[in-house]
Amino acid sequence: MNKTADDAPVTEAEGPQLLSWDSLPRRIVTVYVPLVCFLIILLFPFYWMGVTTFKPNSELLNYKDNNPFWITNPTLANINKLLFETDYPRWLVTTMGVAIGSTILSLVSSVLAAYAIQRLRFRGSDYVGLAIYAAYLVPPSILFIPLAQVVFQFGLFDTPFALILTYPTFLVPFCTWLLIGYFKSIPYELEECALIDGASRLQILRRITLPLAVPGLISAGIFAFTLSWNEFIYALAFISSTENKTVPVAILTELVQGDIYHWGSLMAGALLGSLPVAIFYMFFVEYYVSSLTGAVKE
Amino acid sequence: MDRLTRRETIAIGAGGLSAAGLIGQPAHAAIPTANVPLPKHPLEAGATLRVIRPTKFVDPDETIWRENTEKFTKATGVPVRTDFVGWEDIRAQVAVAARTGAGPDIVAGWANDPHLYEDKILDMTELAGYLGKKYGGWGALPLVYGRKHGTQKWLSIPMGCGGGALVYRKSWVNQAGYEKPPNELDKFLDLCRKLHAAKHPVGWALGNSQGDGNGTATWLLWAHGAYQVDEAGKVAINSKETVAALKYSAELYKTFIPGTLSWLDPSNNKAYIAEEISMTSNGVSIYFVLKNDPKTAAIAADTEHMRLPGAKGNVYPEAANTLNAMAFKHTKYPNAAKEYLRFMMEAEQYDPWLTKCLGYWAHPLLAYDQSDCWKLDPKILPYRDAQKMTRYDGYKGPFSSAAAAATAEYVLVQMVASAASGQSTPEDAAKEAERRLARIYRKA
Repeated sequence: MNKTADDAPVTEAEGPQLLSWDSLPRRIVTVYVPLVCFLIILLFPFYWMGVTTFKPNSELLNYKDNNPFWITNPTLANINKLLFETDYPRWLVTTMGVAIGSTILSLVSSVLAAYAIQRLRFRGSDYVGLAIYAAYLVPPSILFIPLAQVVFQFGLFDTPFALILTYPTFLVPFCTWLLIGYFKSIPYELEECALIDGASRLQILRRITLPLAVPGLISAGIFAFTLSWNEFIYALAFISSTENKTVPVAILTELVQGDIYHWGSLMAGALLGSLPVAIFYMFFVEYYVSSLTGAVKE
Repeated sequence: MDRLTRRETIAIGAGGLSAAGLIGQPAHAAIPTANVPLPKHPLEAGATLRVIRPTKFVDPDETIWRENTEKFTKATGVPVRTDFVGWEDIRAQVAVAARTGAGPDIVAGWANDPHLYEDKILDMTELAGYLGKKYGGWGALPLVYGRKHGTQKWLSIPMGCGGGALVYRKSWVNQAGYEKPPNELDKFLDLCRKLHAAKHPVGWALGNSQGDGNGTATWLLWAHGAYQVDEAGKVAINSKETVAALKYSAELYKTFIPGTLSWLDPSNNKAYIAEEISMTSNGVSIYFVLKNDPKTAAIAADTEHMRLPGAKGNVYPEAANTLNAMAFKHTKYPNAAKEYLRFMMEAEQYDPWLTKCLGYWAHPLLAYDQSDCWKLDPKILPYRDAQKMTRYDGYKGPFSSAAAAATAEYVLVQMVASAASGQSTPEDAAKEAERRLARIYRKA
């Protein structure tokens, strides 16, 4: 691709510079204050999880004598309870396996579906796209009992495969919908060139479209992974053995005993459970942002 | 599955039991029992069982349960697997098991669960009759939750009742001029006002919480003689008794600590342990936590329990969170399932479980009134009588999915909360609850 004037690097001398109407106080009000508010709102839950994880119960329950936002006597007891008195490491591995399995399965299906709907242009493809998206709107709370019958019929109840195979019911519509939009932003001319050169549809998909769609795939993958990681109702209904449970269900089962909530360990579980997703986002954030701004500039 | 003849299965079952010394063995010394012949449940060959139940309340709840289950396996050769499920989540698993006809053989679920799936579960009349005769009869609440409404047919075996007694700080109540909280509602309100004036407010959950929130609403309604539906299941919430209850709750709310409108089940525990409130209603969990932590032992020493105010004679305005065990028809081993439940309810197993759980799951069978559990700590005595309550979810109507839906949608607690906080007048709040209940009961 030829570089345009827009793509030329900005030199140090050129900017960024304040415009005549712009001033530091104005920037503080319009940029920095909202940015700080935004960061506080986003990061406070993590801070709260972290603080609660290391708090002893006495500090957790008594805000009169203790600062709720700080720890006076930090303890590792909550993490110790979580890691060594429960099956947490195993739940984490199960959740990871389920999330990765269902994400891969969903991405493969979604790529094929999205490509077919967007590029093959068969009769009624628009309606098929719409129907797939409508399927995403069916809430899992309606689907879990009929799906449970299917899971039982296949003998998958209480196995991770029950989740790996049912999560795509909501992941595939979402990823397909996302990828349809992404494929739409890839110029069709590239594929036409490949067709003229004699490439088959699968070759075009593999060698032309998918390499250009990597940011979109990563974006769909991140969404699918996160949705699988956090899913609750299917994991609750299809898994009954403690050792086969996923993190969101298992920590509630083990650490909420009637009306006694082991807040410290719960927060430790939530904090450790959110780390893989956060790391996942951190590595792929650039692809994720670029996927939202379009694939290839024409 | 290889089928054995009836004669062979009886021999195997009886042989297993006698080998383990379970036949003719006297019950736990403290528990009076009648000499009642064992029900005939010849174990099926190759039987295995899968059980789900709510997650432990305290560690002994799970450890003693597992020990008892192992004893059963040793005695009968029937392997049993127990899985523990979150309290709020067990209903989803029951629904899946009932609708799909697969999954666990036994579910120790919540009070009205068996009534929602009565066509999917085994008849427990014989077993309940045996246990009732042997252990001095069933309490009033287990009779309500165990039998099909208006019949003598038993659908389930109630295993324990988690009562919600009044929990209060004795010294603060004494300072307010009362020896103990009075049963009369007007005097009780006076006590709460005095506690509030002395900077020791009271607190009841008014948020959407399954246990405490619904418990607050039903207490206030039942104490004033109100009920959500009549005996025939016709909505009867919009009554002068309900309006009186709502006016009372508005006055009582003024003595609450701020924030109770958003309180969930753990909120009153936290507030009481932090000494932010002087009184609430709860299971024995608050006391259990206080007593087991040396830092809060002084609060435990100053804590007392009693029945909620508003009782009329022996009729208390309380229900209890009942652990209600059912066996599904889809089980391949119905006899083993019933035998397991019988085994778990026998004194040799049940009494240690009751005692080690500090009476959280108060016994449903009256003979267990004599359990050592109730002699260890006089402060927990009010929990002993949880099974003597006569009110239940959906009182006065028959059990139905509508009654369960009304509880799940927090219709009553939201009515009380809106009237108490002044968001609606008592009359409007009752009218709105009537509209919502009518929709729920019409759909069912």
